[in-house]
Amino acid sequence: MFLLVSKVFALMLAAIVFAKSYVDFRSGTESLKVFLFWTVTWGMIVVIALFPSIIDYILSLAGGRGVGLGTFFGMAIVFLFFIVYRIYVQLEQLEQKLTRTIQELALRDDWRSKHSEPRV
Amino acid sequence: MREPPTVVIVMPAFNEAAVIGTVLSKIPAKIESFNTISIVVDDGSIDLTDEIARKAGAHVIRHMANVGVGAATITGLRAAKQLDAEIIGTMDADGQHDPAELERLVQCLIDGPFDVVIGSRLRIPSGMPLSRFAANLLLNFVTFVVYRKIVSDSQSGFKVFSKQALAAIDLNSSGYEICSEIIGEIYRKNLRYKSVPIRAVYTRYSRAKGQHFLNGINLILGLFIRLMRRT
Repeated sequence: MFLLVSKVFALMLAAIVFAKSYVDFRSGTESLKVFLFWTVTWGMIVVIALFPSIIDYILSLAGGRGVGLGTFFGMAIVFLFFIVYRIYVQLEQLEQKLTRTIQELALRDDWRSKHSEPRV
Repeated sequence: MREPPTVVIVMPAFNEAAVIGTVLSKIPAKIESFNTISIVVDDGSIDLTDEIARKAGAHVIRHMANVGVGAATITGLRAAKQLDAEIIGTMDADGQHDPAELERLVQCLIDGPFDVVIGSRLRIPSGMPLSRFAANLLLNFVTFVVYRKIVSDSQSGFKVFSKQALAAIDLNSSGYEICSEIIGEIYRKNLRYKSVPIRAVYTRYSRAKGQHFLNGINLILGLFIRLMRRT
């Protein structure tokens, strides 16, 4: 029962992410690279959710008995941290751009009109 | 006719309507032979900070959103450059710094001559809450780790710069880490600086407005991100 709920939940999330990503891509607010990244990532999540035995197969390919489920989840966490890091970096870059824009506007609107020429 | 040289005081402000009028009224109209001009950078306040500052005679530049004390300071310094100011000062708008001490800082800059004079609260720490004193010492240490420069009060917002120093330094911090970034620039650009003791005024208002624990964490994080970017 729990496995079935998990599968339905994963499918629903994947459908939402794909739909949102596709709409953003069509409207030009998301690049093809980002759209493909999320499509492939969630595609993999859906495949794993529907066929969990794939994990066993991957683990056997990765190193047989030596590699446990912990290693697999460890790698998943590293991957998630990488995504969080990328989001953090991009958010900071966005914040910097916003700050520079606000500064430029403030100096242009409030200041430059009154003090266009430096004193000599 | 050549206009007399000016001292421009840059004051970043966020929701300081309660005190900014009083602070501005205490700024001397003349320091030595220099005329004084105050620039208030209203960093997206939602109270009457800009209106009160204008009425008190300051030039007001308004950020349309709150982007941080560092960004507001940079905006003010850019405006001061456009005014061709001979000497540029920065001070807090919350009343923590006594404008009467500006004269002493400017005098020290001229007499040195120095490129930057920093008002140090930690050299006269009486009245400073112990937690803030300890936090400032910690931030001095972090500043030293990141920028390899030890100063007595790395987080002081009360500073004066010569025109040449302002032209030399390159700043881009948005938040409180701008104080440490200035220390780093003094070191990198090999500027002559001096720390001068100042008396910080700690009222209930200025304590509430000052840096908090979370700001401190953000500041340290911001400084270490800068350190990683440099390496």
